[in-house]
Amino acid sequence: MGSRTGLVKYIKLWFMMTGMVSQNAFVSRFGAALFVLGKLIRFTFFLFFLLVITSRTQTIQGYTLWQVVLFYITFNLIDSVAQFFLREVYRFRNYVVSGNFDYFLTKPVPVLLRLLFGGSDVLDVPIIALSVGFIFVALSNIGSITTPDILVYFLLLINGFVIAMSFHILVLAIGILTTEVDNTLWLFRDLTQMGRFPIDIYKNPLRQIITFIIPVGVMVTFPAKAAMGLLSFNAFLISFLVGGMFLYFSMRFWKFSLKRYTSASS
Amino acid sequence: MKKYYLIARNTWDEILTYRTSFIMWRVRSIIQVLTIYFLWSVVIPPGKTFLGYSQSLITTYILGTLLLESMVLSSRSYIVGNEINSGNLMNFLIRPINYFSYWFSKDIGDKAMNICFSVVELTLIFLVLRPSLFIQTDPFYISFFILSVILAIFIYFFINFLLGLIGFWSPEIWAPRFIFITILGFFAGGLFPLDILPKTIYEIIRFLPFTYLMYFPIKTYLGQLSLFEILSGLSISAFWVFAIYFMVKAIWQKGLKSYTAYGK
Repeated sequence: MGSRTGLVKYIKLWFMMTGMVSQNAFVSRFGAALFVLGKLIRFTFFLFFLLVITSRTQTIQGYTLWQVVLFYITFNLIDSVAQFFLREVYRFRNYVVSGNFDYFLTKPVPVLLRLLFGGSDVLDVPIIALSVGFIFVALSNIGSITTPDILVYFLLLINGFVIAMSFHILVLAIGILTTEVDNTLWLFRDLTQMGRFPIDIYKNPLRQIITFIIPVGVMVTFPAKAAMGLLSFNAFLISFLVGGMFLYFSMRFWKFSLKRYTSASS
Repeated sequence: MKKYYLIARNTWDEILTYRTSFIMWRVRSIIQVLTIYFLWSVVIPPGKTFLGYSQSLITTYILGTLLLESMVLSSRSYIVGNEINSGNLMNFLIRPINYFSYWFSKDIGDKAMNICFSVVELTLIFLVLRPSLFIQTDPFYISFFILSVILAIFIYFFINFLLGLIGFWSPEIWAPRFIFITILGFFAGGLFPLDILPKTIYEIIRFLPFTYLMYFPIKTYLGQLSLFEILSGLSISAFWVFAIYFMVKAIWQKGLKSYTAYGK
């Protein structure tokens, strides 16, 4: 009962903080509209690029157009959902160097929760909605997809988001130790961009590295493969193992970093 | 002239002060290029061709974009808008220095550092991946390639400056730049050679300035263009250099008249 009340409290808090961040985002409506437009242009251009290549080669590494599209849209959905929920991480450096991080530590809200979910970016909502719509279009065009495949796909999407969140926790932990946040975040973004295409296109050992060590493959490619019925049961289990271990490791590293926070900027 | 040389050298020192940031930036560039390199390696396997591109041509094209990004797209002048918004521009207006030359010198310093790094990176990529590359030996194509890169540098500098001038009238300088970067990502040719696009689309975008930032110089280097195509491409590049230059000059003058340096 107590934990449910706590959860409701945090959800209310999230809505409140997201509302405040959204008001900020819409101070310049023109700017907000341009950012949304930019994201939509990027999405459309990339789909067009995939269409141009696949229409001329028929397949990429054996995958048909709609399968390639599903890989890209899956990447796009996980990337956009992570940006939507975890946007506060992008502001973390400022909190550390200005000393405002101390202020969060004294509040009766779990500090990691505050830093991860302290204000979502509503400008990502249109692209998330578009991605979800395109996923259903791609799935229906691929054909021969069963309900269990779709169920597994959505379970692996959640696992993908957990991995993305773990990455963000690592970024926060590195930020405490070094005050370096932006570059680490962008490096993470670029690494995940490798998942815009099926990871089969990369050669070993790079493929192994981005599958298990920096689990971009598990995060993005595996869900799409599961939807196509191309993922083995072992790989399905390994995905959750990798996701769980990554979360565990990042949480340990976060605690390690937090103990070493010196509050030097206060 | 010496003061502009010192500004360029100062930019080196700035970059070396924030080494981690710069190295991370270079790592990111390599990741982006490698992603596209592997995609094209799969699309065009050895011995096959795709719309006139063999694997060695496309590999040279994609890896060439890493070098061209350093030559053309690396810059510091993207900060101009911030300088106007913060009122910092005032500090330059009262100094015996040409504001355009100041930022151009900074750009040159930034490009020089990026070029040094990208040469090392390309050597490492070559040693590790052993890609088949096309080496141009014809001085005719090499000289036109150099000329097209010089024009591209000026086009990019003036576009960058132009976007910064929005700061005279609006604090919203990053959103238009975001749109610009997104369009640039596709129409500069860093992701794919533009001539693989359907002919009607290609015929339209070949008149845009973006095409002449990376696609046209690399195509010239690869020797895939006729003399007529090279000359018409260079004419369009030169047109854009002058057109954007005069636009920047006019808007700069207009902006200065309305500038209140309210940030300071």
